[in-house]
Amino acid sequence: MSTINENARPAHKGGAPLPGTSSGVLKKVVVIVLLCLAWELTVRILKVNKLLFPPLSDVAVRLMHGLGFGGGSASGELWAYIWETLSVILQSFAISTALAILVTGLAISNIWMRETLSVMTGMFQPLPSIALLPMAILWFGFSRDSLVFVVVMAMVWPIASSLTVGFATISPTLLRLGRNYELGRFAMMKEILLPAALPMMISGLRVGWGFGWRTVVAAELVFGATGNGGGIGWFINNSRLFMNIGDGFAGILLVIIVGLVTESLFRLLQHFTTHKWGTESY
Amino acid sequence: MTTATTATAVGEALRLPANAGSDLVVLDRVSIEFPRSRGSGHVVAVSDVSVSIRRGEKFVILGPSGCGKSTLLTALGGFIPVSSGAILVDGKAVSAPSMNRVLVFQDFGQLLPWRTVSGNVEWAVGKRWPSMKPRERKARAAHYIDIVGLGAQAGQYPNTLSGGQKQRCAIARAFAVQPAMLLMDEPFGALDAINRERMQYELNKVWASESEPVTIAFVTHDVNEAVHLGHRVMVMSRGPGRLRALIDNPCVGSPPHDEAALALVQELRDLLKDEP
Repeated sequence: MSTINENARPAHKGGAPLPGTSSGVLKKVVVIVLLCLAWELTVRILKVNKLLFPPLSDVAVRLMHGLGFGGGSASGELWAYIWETLSVILQSFAISTALAILVTGLAISNIWMRETLSVMTGMFQPLPSIALLPMAILWFGFSRDSLVFVVVMAMVWPIASSLTVGFATISPTLLRLGRNYELGRFAMMKEILLPAALPMMISGLRVGWGFGWRTVVAAELVFGATGNGGGIGWFINNSRLFMNIGDGFAGILLVIIVGLVTESLFRLLQHFTTHKWGTESY
Repeated sequence: MTTATTATAVGEALRLPANAGSDLVVLDRVSIEFPRSRGSGHVVAVSDVSVSIRRGEKFVILGPSGCGKSTLLTALGGFIPVSSGAILVDGKAVSAPSMNRVLVFQDFGQLLPWRTVSGNVEWAVGKRWPSMKPRERKARAAHYIDIVGLGAQAGQYPNTLSGGQKQRCAIARAFAVQPAMLLMDEPFGALDAINRERMQYELNKVWASESEPVTIAFVTHDVNEAVHLGHRVMVMSRGPGRLRALIDNPCVGSPPHDEAALALVQELRDLLKDEP
């Protein structure tokens, strides 16, 4: 590599290519199409009872109607259900992230806090937080708070443990730089620690989101409706009660789609931060 | 600012300013010890060093690796405490890191990866003068980025820069906050030979371009670098780190094949070689 002509390196403004522009996408589409075909054809050829396992085309029609496309009796109702679930998880996500940052931030400077955090993470991370739902119902009643509590318990530990690793692996040079420029505790957190730990942070948020998303849907299945309306889990369970299996599958598809969309949002976040800065390669 | 292209003219500009001479830093019988990581007892990294650094000079600390020269510099920055003795800057004992003594590391990772070249420099300027207007801050950053020749890369993130460019940016950032003192810990140590020589030449140029030259303490194990940069060269010996010699260098900024410089290089090399 030429070091004399230092200007030879190209300006690299855009960071890594956007996820979705690679040729892998085409293969993914092919696989998805094949899976859909397999579903549709298996059900039709084997003449499976439609009440138990409807073909994809039926489910797709239900999903479209549920989302308000093409009319039908249930026009648009899915939006309300999915929003109910999303609002719970978004609220829990915000609470969990703030809590995790606060707790790991305290753990950096205090050995007792560090041990406490480590023990608690060890205890609660393996615990499926849905197991806390019965207690949460006792404490908070059949309310949204119970759901939020359970989801926060699912999310906060993986986020906190990734952040701990993220903080522990920051280069000593950057910490010295922060001390050199006389950063206080808060400024150090905001300007050095958090951005430097962002790759680990994003992976923690991702895992946390996954845990939370599973937990909230599961909790709704058990829990039913809260206050003003149920979420997507409740909708799926109801569909089973009324033998609307097509609707149930539509709900499940929607849960999957939301999961995929969030995953791409995380990729987008990486694209504009850690990939652009080169602190994470892919 | 010198626009001279010949080495001798640069050498002229590298003379110490008239007001130089008063001591900025006094090291008074400084010893630095670390507790051993295993077992009991201490490792003595620096032992009984007394020396003073004059205002506006480039002071080189030269020594073999492991002689405690970086430790001494780190203590000068206030990052680690001395075990005995005292480090005084402007008559006051050093107790904590300060923006008045800016460290430049060997590590290419000293730039904030999430800020561009100009972002890094502006960040530092903003820390130094929090009430400075954004326009003034940008102008100041741009000025120093131009001086180190990174104008074309100002909008790039550090991960797109070469090692030499990263060190240039770090130097621009350090000069831009106008500290009383720059502490440079082998900043060119990880560069290839050609780039290193170029950076030494340019460091001299940037230093000379300041209306009130900044005091620089520069740690290196490279004898040629010491002779090219230092108005005075302090030679340290290993285990424990002691002051071995303090040499005035009239050849600062001279071209690499200058005879007097070569003689001094040889003298320093001998000093490093025949350790007791």
